[in-house]
Amino acid sequence: MAEETRTAPDRASHAALDRERLRGLLAEILDVDVAQISDQAHFVDDLGVDSLMALEITVRLEAEFPVKLAEEELTQLATLDDTYALLDAKLRAAS
Amino acid sequence: MRNRLRDRWCLVLGASSGMGRATALALAEQGAHVAGVHFDRADGVQAARELECTLRSQGVRAHLFNVNAASDRGRTRLVPALAELTGGRPLRTVLHSLAFGSLVPFLPTDDTKQALTRAQLEMTLDVMAHSLVYWTQDLLAAGLVAEGTRIFAMTSAGTSQVLPSYGAVSAAKAALESHVRQLACELAPHGASVNALRAGVTVTPSLLRIPGHEEFVGDSAAGNPHGRLTIPEDVAEAVVLLSNAPSSWLTGNTIGVDGAELVAAGATWSRREATR
Repeated sequence: MAEETRTAPDRASHAALDRERLRGLLAEILDVDVAQISDQAHFVDDLGVDSLMALEITVRLEAEFPVKLAEEELTQLATLDDTYALLDAKLRAAS
Repeated sequence: MRNRLRDRWCLVLGASSGMGRATALALAEQGAHVAGVHFDRADGVQAARELECTLRSQGVRAHLFNVNAASDRGRTRLVPALAELTGGRPLRTVLHSLAFGSLVPFLPTDDTKQALTRAQLEMTLDVMAHSLVYWTQDLLAAGLVAEGTRIFAMTSAGTSQVLPSYGAVSAAKAALESHVRQLACELAPHGASVNALRAGVTVTPSLLRIPGHEEFVGDSAAGNPHGRLTIPEDVAEAVVLLSNAPSSWLTGNTIGVDGAELVAAGATWSRREATR
């Protein structure tokens, strides 16, 4: 069953941030092998991420983690390292 | 005219804003159940939840899915979910109102060093045009498009008019209208119809993303013989009206829903309006 608006996971059920889980999630969203998502692989230059895939990343991250991502923050997300750092900072700020 | 929407499921692709949202509301008002697909970040998700509540307040069933409708993965997960919702009964109405594309000129200019890339052009065509074909294929295979189904796809004057930065979307709309004609013929034996609705310039979140929209919004409002722009509710009215068509004879067309904006020459009609 596809994720539904009305059954978006509640905040308490979110899993903790884990680098390998994040790597797996990005690989799934971008439909590439996990090995291609190196810490420094550039989403646009190396992985061919376009604006639609970028939105897909955002929607999935917001569904998986208790964060909201602003449009200008998205443009800063170029690698797994960047994504991990931003999520980590946001989750720490919220806790 | 008999209400053929009551207690029937309808599918709106691109349901959270603009024409999709207005159409979802109008369909629910007619007693139709609404399945909607949107693709939004947190703020949009909240708005979609509120829309779902509003739709249900009409006494109908409503389910909105936050999924990328243009992706194969999203579509193949949604089609079985839709079949479950309808109990396998065909959809009465399907509205394709997906607006997501690259608004970048083909060639770099002095202002914008950027030029459209292959990936951007292909993504725009895929989302705004080709996804209609893939959805129709899968909905037909699932028995959700069948006798009586009325499919509508939102096009624009971009098929005949050129705007800066709108080249990829113009191409997508031209392809979309071609897909509509092809599907109309191939769907005829199934008793389903498909038409493109060409809305006039309409202020929606998608329009506000088009560079230079301020100028043509102003010009369009002045040039429209009705003296105003198209509103999303105008499109919703057309979808409701045509969804009630008893047969599939009206099919394969591009239908203007623009108050005659496209055919009105220049600003000649606005002057008449002003001196009335």
